[in-house]
Amino acid sequence: MATQPGRSTRAAVPAIAAAFAFFALVPLFVSDDYYLHVLVHVLFFAYMASAWNVVCGYTGQLSLGHSALCGIGGYVSTLLFINTGLTPWVGMLVGAVAATGVGVLVGWPCFRLRGPYFALTTIAFAEILRIWTDNTEEIFGIELRGAQGLSVPLKGHVPALFQFDGKVPYFYIILAMLAGVMLVTWWMERSRMGYYLKAIRGDQDAAEALGVNSIRYLLSAMALSSFLTGLGGSFYAQFFRYVNPERIMGLDLSIEFALMGIVGGQGTVLGPVLGSFLLTPAGEITRATLGGRFPGLHLVIYGMVLILSMLFLPKGLIEPLRRLAGRKRVPAGRDEPAAA
Amino acid sequence: MDPIILGIAVVNGIVVGGLYGAIAVGLSLIFGVMRVINFAHGSFLMIGLFIPFWLWQLYGFNPYLSILVAAPALFGLGYAVQAVLIAPLYKRERAMVIEPLSALMLTAGVGLILDNVTFMFFGPDYRGITLEFASRALWVGDILNINYTRGIAFLASLVIAAGLSLFLAYSDLGRSIRSTAQNRDAAALCGINVMRIYNVTFGLGCAILGVVGCLMIPFYLVSPHIGLAFGVRSFITVVLGGIGSIPGCILGGLILGVVESVAAQFVTASSASIFSFIIFILVLFFKPTGLLGMRV
Repeated sequence: MATQPGRSTRAAVPAIAAAFAFFALVPLFVSDDYYLHVLVHVLFFAYMASAWNVVCGYTGQLSLGHSALCGIGGYVSTLLFINTGLTPWVGMLVGAVAATGVGVLVGWPCFRLRGPYFALTTIAFAEILRIWTDNTEEIFGIELRGAQGLSVPLKGHVPALFQFDGKVPYFYIILAMLAGVMLVTWWMERSRMGYYLKAIRGDQDAAEALGVNSIRYLLSAMALSSFLTGLGGSFYAQFFRYVNPERIMGLDLSIEFALMGIVGGQGTVLGPVLGSFLLTPAGEITRATLGGRFPGLHLVIYGMVLILSMLFLPKGLIEPLRRLAGRKRVPAGRDEPAAA
Repeated sequence: MDPIILGIAVVNGIVVGGLYGAIAVGLSLIFGVMRVINFAHGSFLMIGLFIPFWLWQLYGFNPYLSILVAAPALFGLGYAVQAVLIAPLYKRERAMVIEPLSALMLTAGVGLILDNVTFMFFGPDYRGITLEFASRALWVGDILNINYTRGIAFLASLVIAAGLSLFLAYSDLGRSIRSTAQNRDAAALCGINVMRIYNVTFGLGCAILGVVGCLMIPFYLVSPHIGLAFGVRSFITVVLGGIGSIPGCILGGLILGVVESVAAQFVTASSASIFSFIIFILVLFFKPTGLLGMRV
């Protein structure tokens, strides 16, 4: 039965726990701000790709509009902080709820579309939001400052306001967030909803014929993914202390989330994390060492990795690792309708 | 709103819109025949703009003459991308679960590489050329004028679309392309080398961008990152007109051009494209076959 976690999954849990314990110790050895900065980046993209994976990996619908949800999270928490002084700890929840609302409202009509049409429509919605923000100086008396973006006011070392000296606290926060999103994904995969989603991915019409209310489960996954993405966007805003539409809502960012998820292995707990651990450091190091002479080289590398993985590892890096771990390969979509 | 200004905006929109249509024709052809969304479409156009720019900059080539270089170069590039990178996906398709999105992500990777290799070599600058007669314009009455280079581009766009339609309708190769689009297996049974037709189709879709690039460079500034915006605009054009329909593409382009141009009279030019996206979403929700939706 597919409901039984495989042996390798049981073996993977302690391995993942050990990896997290190892990472929790990293700041004891690494004090260089630059390396910590790169690590936070790696964990942030692992988190965002995992949040993207909750809806896209498990349902097979490709969203290239997730950066809009990230932007909503970042903008809402920052605007609340600037205008009402509300601490970003609460603001990020408000931002995540706002992202959820938008995600569900947009997802509801979009899920009637499939394949490339769905992907293009998510781009359209995200671009509308980005262009609007880019060109709006203020709305209802709230300053958005258009393309200039918003700076988070500096308060010094005030943990209650999500502001810390140094990068170590941010590192632990994003590490905890990543653990959270992985737990949520793991739980979802094993819940009834996870099986319904896999059934929908295998064949939406067949799943509906068996009585799966596909829109309901697609929207639930969308809501969960939007909430997590919104939280991530708020973290981004607090970490960089600056948001602008180009960076936090742009199509490039959406493509990066999807790229990490796909290269690592969509529809798995570990895949998107692997994707980010492979790509983000490669990108960051290239940018730091060769970025002066060859700007954009890291994106060339991303493009090459994407092409190679589509050609040779369409199920992601996770697939050969799984085979190494001894799990028998289950053809996708074969066992899922039975499980539903 | 002053009706004269509005009229000028509409005329400008039509002129630009014809060009949007010609840019989108290649995307529509590739999608209609291969069911592949070429996410690198705009990047190919960017290459198509850089070729006549450098030929003019280095050797003083007239951009209209550069069509003879740019179109074959883009054909070769497109042919190679399809034959080397996309073809393996098709060969795998039958044995595996079909992933219609893998081709989209694959071409997104191609786009990333094209954009950023260009960026590495040429930097972020916007470049353009100044032709001696580019500043001259055709005056209609005292107020309305159409710049010659834009006028040429508009007329040439219509010629491209008509030429492609005739080619698909009457030539042997065109018939093979259409039959492959209708039914890949039946076409193969009739002795058509489907993979070769796919290669040629992809090359053809890109070659059009080589032509369009030469038409645009006299009045348009090129930089390595303009591709994505044109790619997205082409998706909108194609969906608006109906996927696979060449007249639909031109119609979609004209509508898009007029909407953007008129909207720019009311809001800033950069937010005018919001209206294109809204039209795109409305069409997808209410008439997903597009305005003139039919097969190639």
